[in-house]
Amino acid sequence: MKKQDFINELAEELEVESQVTAETVLKDLDEWDSMGAMILIGYVSDNFDVTLNADDIEALTTFQSLVDKIGVEKFS
Amino acid sequence: MGAEITAIEYHYPEKAITNVDLAKEFPDYDFSKFEKKVGIKTRYVVNEDETALDLACKAVNKLFDNGIDKSKIDYLLYCTQSPEYILPTTACILQDRVGLNKTIGAFDFNLGCSGYTYGLSFAKALINSNQAKKVLLVTAETYSKFIHEKDRTNRSIFGDAATATIIEASDQECVGDFLFGTDGNGHDKLIVKNGGSKNKYNANCAVKDYGTGNQYTDNHIYMNGPEIFNFTAGQIPKFTKEVLLKNNIEKEYIDQFVFHQANAYMLNFMRKRIKVEPDKFYINLENGGNTVSNTIPIALKNYSQNITKQESIIVLGFGVGLSWSGGLIKLNNKL
Repeated sequence: MKKQDFINELAEELEVESQVTAETVLKDLDEWDSMGAMILIGYVSDNFDVTLNADDIEALTTFQSLVDKIGVEKFS
Repeated sequence: MGAEITAIEYHYPEKAITNVDLAKEFPDYDFSKFEKKVGIKTRYVVNEDETALDLACKAVNKLFDNGIDKSKIDYLLYCTQSPEYILPTTACILQDRVGLNKTIGAFDFNLGCSGYTYGLSFAKALINSNQAKKVLLVTAETYSKFIHEKDRTNRSIFGDAATATIIEASDQECVGDFLFGTDGNGHDKLIVKNGGSKNKYNANCAVKDYGTGNQYTDNHIYMNGPEIFNFTAGQIPKFTKEVLLKNNIEKEYIDQFVFHQANAYMLNFMRKRIKVEPDKFYINLENGGNTVSNTIPIALKNYSQNITKQESIIVLGFGVGLSWSGGLIKLNNKL
């Protein structure tokens, strides 16, 4: 998957209304909350077979940090 | 010889809290999105002077009002994490309050979302081992008493309720095989730390922050949402297959999957993993929310209203403990 496609799809899942890039800080989004965390975990699990735990969620900053966590090699 | 569910009644407290009410308290939060994703519009909570036992009595009395003969009940199973006291057993008080025979067996068991399915399995075992003929299984929960007022997420998800189910001896076996799972390593993922025998209730407890605007103290419910989600998403689809296998039935022959109504997003996530069509997978928590051990009997009661023939249903509960259990039941008619 292309990185920007992933970011766009995830933003859509989270129903983020503003424009997002790799540099956008997840937790700064108005839409970020505990439901968002659940949706993010579900999306990443379904698409990459990667399980994010509570500590991973806690450590997340930008969308890029999420890409790094999943593994940059999984993106083109 | 076998066991059969012949009646279910439930009761919600009168005080309703809608998403509109919550939005007034939490004006910065978009409850329309919550409603869409989590599927809850209204939850009911008890008043300060009202307890889970009060709700339980009302649910049980509905059974009696509908013609169930209380003198025939010979066993009471009471599932709660909101007991009336530390001791005595709440089931004993219920026996007296609703006027059950003094010859009955009665005990409480402390389980959350996996409690109802445990209760069904236990009722079946009592009947098939000839220790009881007519079992009253009660679930009653008031998590609202344990949730911090600034814990928006848990206040939005959980509601209070009680249910009463009759399981009785029958010519046909309508309660199939059940399986169980336990992982106490996750006991601190959903917990009220204070007020038991390890940690006393602390009137000056520090307020903690979840990081998503939600607050709690150790006197209140703490839920690690991501870990509970991962447990459920990882464990339950696999477990569902094991339950089907144990009952020697293919999922195509199941009329309805009735899982614990945790939240709509999580249920849909699991439904896709198990590969079941939406019309065979019960999701309805709009009115009432997540009422812990009450969601499955409430769902069965509501679902059964449109049954016209015998239906095979998988019931499956999972959550606090961590604990999970599930099995096959057959419903013959409207409950």
